[in-house]
Amino acid sequence: MPDIITCFKWAVDEADIRPQASGEVALDRVGYKISEYDRNALEAAAQLKEAHGGSVTAITVATPAAKKGLKDALSRGPDRACFVNDAAFDALEPAQTAALLAGVIRDRLPFDLILCGEGSSDLYAQQVGPRLAQELGIPCVTYVNRITLEGSTLLAERKLEDGIEVVKVELPALVTVLPDINTPRIPGLKDTLEASKKPVQSVGPGEAGGEFPARLQTVALRATSMERRCVRFPADDAGIRELVEALRKSGAIG
Amino acid sequence: MDFRLTEEQELIRANIREFCQQYLDPIAVEIDENSRHPQEVFDRLAEMGFMGMPYPQEYGGAGTDFLTYAMVVEEISRSCAGTGFTFSCHTGLGTGPIYEYGTEEQKQKYLVPLCKGQKWGAFALTEPGAGTDVNAATTVAVADGDEWVINGTKTFISQGTFADIFIVFARTDPAAGPKGISAFIVTKDNPGLKVGEHFRKMGIRCSQTAEIILKDCRVPRSDMLGKEGNGLRMAMASLDNGRIGIAAQAVGILQAALDESLKYASQRIQFNKPIGRQQAIQWMIADMATDLAAARHLTYHAATLKDQGLPYTKEASMAKLFASEAAMRHASKAVQIHGGYGYMKGQKVERLLRDAKITEIYEGTSEAQRMVIAGNVMR
Ligand SMILES: Cc1cc2nc3c(=O)[nH]c(=O)nc-3n(C[C@H](O)[C@H](O)[C@H](O)COP(=O)(O)OP(=O)(O)OC[C@H]3O[C@@H](n4cnc5c(N)ncnc54)[C@H](O)[C@@H]3O)c2cc1C
Repeated sequence: MPDIITCFKWAVDEADIRPQASGEVALDRVGYKISEYDRNALEAAAQLKEAHGGSVTAITVATPAAKKGLKDALSRGPDRACFVNDAAFDALEPAQTAALLAGVIRDRLPFDLILCGEGSSDLYAQQVGPRLAQELGIPCVTYVNRITLEGSTLLAERKLEDGIEVVKVELPALVTVLPDINTPRIPGLKDTLEASKKPVQSVGPGEAGGEFPARLQTVALRATSMERRCVRFPADDAGIRELVEALRKSGAIG
Repeated sequence: MDFRLTEEQELIRANIREFCQQYLDPIAVEIDENSRHPQEVFDRLAEMGFMGMPYPQEYGGAGTDFLTYAMVVEEISRSCAGTGFTFSCHTGLGTGPIYEYGTEEQKQKYLVPLCKGQKWGAFALTEPGAGTDVNAATTVAVADGDEWVINGTKTFISQGTFADIFIVFARTDPAAGPKGISAFIVTKDNPGLKVGEHFRKMGIRCSQTAEIILKDCRVPRSDMLGKEGNGLRMAMASLDNGRIGIAAQAVGILQAALDESLKYASQRIQFNKPIGRQQAIQWMIADMATDLAAARHLTYHAATLKDQGLPYTKEASMAKLFASEAAMRHASKAVQIHGGYGYMKGQKVERLLRDAKITEIYEGTSEAQRMVIAGNVMR
């Protein structure tokens, strides 16, 4: 009966991002959601628990504003959540997030298996999982789209560019999952209502240990823009030459 | 009044929205075209605990407030207004009266399966000769030993073709006028109940509307709902609550009209730029967004009053009146923004316009709402 930890990030909902007329991207009116692949990690944990028993703890490192994300995560199956929060955590880079997670997990959360999404839907640096495994000194399996558990042995299928690799690893271990591992459930009404009653362990400002000065700085955020010229070229040799010439002139091709 | 949604309400809204995008949007055109009741969607909604949601958990509901319920009706209607209506008509009119007026025995027997989505409810008030003028009803119930014998015809009964449990209003005292009507619970296996074909409709075509014929329909005395002679009062109170559902349905249609218009206005290029850069289009969208906000506030306000146990008859009528007329106005504008493409089958705005019209008619026409509102403000 494995004790599972799933890590999730409360990230900007990209569907809400709209470029301003100026080309700037304003983030003051966007909503937040559980980062896409982390939903798959939560679902994988819920399915493992349904099959093997044990427990699931969801953990996030975020600013206190991410409180709503806890209810969302808890409505997707975990038994409890751990909320590592500090107003200063608004621009953590992956090494800092991994160090914070490692500190809290080492001190407070016994586990057999840690599940992470392959990457976050905002930065997609794909670093938190492997760095966290490194910090904890446990094996890490990435790009996983299938997990089978047999006692304390985990079989994982890794979807690589040139094929599928099946690896066997002894727990404790960390796995980062791809979106095709499962279809995350849509929480039912009772799942949402019951999420509020599940325990949340809060690790507040200063309690996580260490200093985490912001090292990432957003200098500018601009939307790509598409300009329509509405120029027509005839579909003959001369027209094609004209088109190539026009593209070259505009700098679109070299 | 503060309508900031709680974290829970926001999550429930996001979940039902995702549900509709996944399971309802892809079939909305088909169920409209074929006039098909999407039972498979309701099976999932029941599994997820949405059927019967505003009723207590002890009766199989989820015990949410009415505001959350109205939000869910809105989101389902934003995807498919016919499905939103079936959900709201079953939950409001088909289930509500048994919760409000049923005996404990009736609640255990009928309310529990209705709340769990195992059985379908219907509300049979309207007759061919008695629409707005409900007191013109001619369906009669005569006592005979331990039973009541009901005779008459009800028409335009939603869920009629597949409902398991009908709340039927019939005259028990011909001399008592509006105080001579009572309510009965009639189940579909009753040999005295016949259900006609479902009507072919302009809009909300996946909702099934049928005629109900009661011929020497015998029901045990224990299946009278509420007190004898109290039928019309109960029907009116149930309609107050149902009207919040229709208002929410109209808000969903308005939101969909705005969603579609925003998308199209930014995509359609004429005169070398998106039509949304034209002031004429911007003004239509501004008016649409403003009426949507107003309709939503009126609706949430009425729901909140109900949640607080305060009178809400006037507010429910105002919400229903304003939201339905705004939905009709702006569904038409949404088609206008889409030009000729908006007039074609398969375009969502075309369906929105057909669906919007009914919100001005059922559960009290706009004229009936104005009578209720005037009656409340002029006394
Ligand atoms: C799709 C659909 C589903 C329905 N579902 C149900 C259901 O589940 N259960 C149920 O019981 N009923 C149901 N109905 C019936 C619906 O509630 C009635 O159609 C509605 O109340 C209007 O009645 P009517 O159609 O007889 O119109 P009428 O009452 O004949 O009205 C015709 C017109 O006259 C106006 N009018 C009438 N009286 C007055 C007055 N005093 N002053 C000013 N104007 C007036 C009306 O506003 C309307 O414009 C449904 C109807 C439809 C179309």
